[in-house]
Amino acid sequence: MSGDRQVRIWAQVARQSLGEPVSVAHVCAAAVAGVGVDGAGVTMMAGPTVRETVTATDPVATGLEELQLTLGQGPCVDTFAEGGPVLAGDLRSPGYLARWPMFTPAALDLGAGAVFALPLQIGAIQLGVLDLYRVRSGGLSPPELADALSFADTVSMLLLAAAAGTRPDTAKPAWQRDDQSSHDAVVHQATGMILVQLGCAADAAFARLRAYAFADDRRLSDVARDVVERRLRFDPEPSGLSLDEGERA
Amino acid sequence: MSERQLAEVFVELADTLVDDFDLIDFLHRLTVRCVDLLGVSAAGLLLTDQRGALQVVAASTEQTRLLELLQLQTDEGPCPECFHTGRPVTVTDLTGSTVRWPRFVAAASQIGFASVHALPMRLRSEIIGALNLFDTRPGALSPDTVRLGQALADVATIGLLQARAISHRETLAEQLQIALNSRVIIEQAKGVIAERRRLDMDQSFMLLRTAARNTNRRLSDLSRAVVDGSETL
Repeated sequence: MSGDRQVRIWAQVARQSLGEPVSVAHVCAAAVAGVGVDGAGVTMMAGPTVRETVTATDPVATGLEELQLTLGQGPCVDTFAEGGPVLAGDLRSPGYLARWPMFTPAALDLGAGAVFALPLQIGAIQLGVLDLYRVRSGGLSPPELADALSFADTVSMLLLAAAAGTRPDTAKPAWQRDDQSSHDAVVHQATGMILVQLGCAADAAFARLRAYAFADDRRLSDVARDVVERRLRFDPEPSGLSLDEGERA
Repeated sequence: MSERQLAEVFVELADTLVDDFDLIDFLHRLTVRCVDLLGVSAAGLLLTDQRGALQVVAASTEQTRLLELLQLQTDEGPCPECFHTGRPVTVTDLTGSTVRWPRFVAAASQIGFASVHALPMRLRSEIIGALNLFDTRPGALSPDTVRLGQALADVATIGLLQARAISHRETLAEQLQIALNSRVIIEQAKGVIAERRRLDMDQSFMLLRTAARNTNRRLSDLSRAVVDGSETL
């Protein structure tokens, strides 16, 4: 996200976390206020086929998350399959009843007129989904979409940090760790290389890369470039995981 | 520029009408066509990420330096300017733009580029990205070449819309995010292959493309399988 937007998003999150370590619930609350929706929920991938709801801001959001988990259909489910957001601005329009025959009427009964499912993903790394709903129907305006996507990016960051076992930060340090160079191609390429080097999954590889960059106080893309240009390798040690710098045969 | 090459662009455009249309592969081939047809040295396509930045979605070569030069234009360079104004941006001699775009000019000059052009990808009143053309020679493109370049940028937009139509997605917004994420998957897969096979990123990309074509799969689908581990190339 652009610098200005990043500042604004984190300021909104800080207003929710109020000096406490930032949680996904704080980001959801900030997203509701910031984007101008009525509720939000996050479901994460707890395993390759297992999903579990992390948080929901209110009973309707909770209900929507549960519906998708039990029915196995809905915008949230589709985001995993399609690799992109599903923006259902008007659940009453006929296409949605055809697409989700059980979810749509149930969601309308709960009181949701529009549901926006934003995947929490970095390429092939699928962390979960952020669902936003509105009582009234209507799509997200371009600025609302921009903020929604940015809040989703923020949730992704938190989930990655949690999966890496990093202690949760308060808003200011968390914001400083939000490295915009994470979008550079070298970072994704390095992730692919590291997953082979460590023999682990892509999310673990990315988490290790981020942890190394943070510990070394360097930009993600600079560390990634070292990996891609083969100046830095991540090798598992017999006794556990570690990394070694320098040339390798 | 040959008529045959131009005709091939039309044939490839018809490819967008099939069910298993591969958007990323299409956009890659389009940037290669730009180099051939427009007589430039390199070409790249950037799309809006809809949150204030431009992201690379295709390039005529996957050399890391070119990708980084394109990516530098997240917020500095001819592409962001083109994106925000909706108008073509032409720089016939980069050495004159060091104050305007310090980092971009430094990186471009290091590669050996002397001139650059950015053409908008437009959909009615919306600008969704930019086509970036680089040349090692200074100077402007002829008006005919600019017109053709704009037509090729429009072909890229058409390809994106076709991907949307085929998948029945509701909005262009959804399709843009899918395209950008597909690109990330491909970058991750390039890394996996580069490490496993000791190749550079350009070679890894070519291996991926060949394998995708041979197995009749989309680049992004094959890439996901490579990253997930369900496919070993």
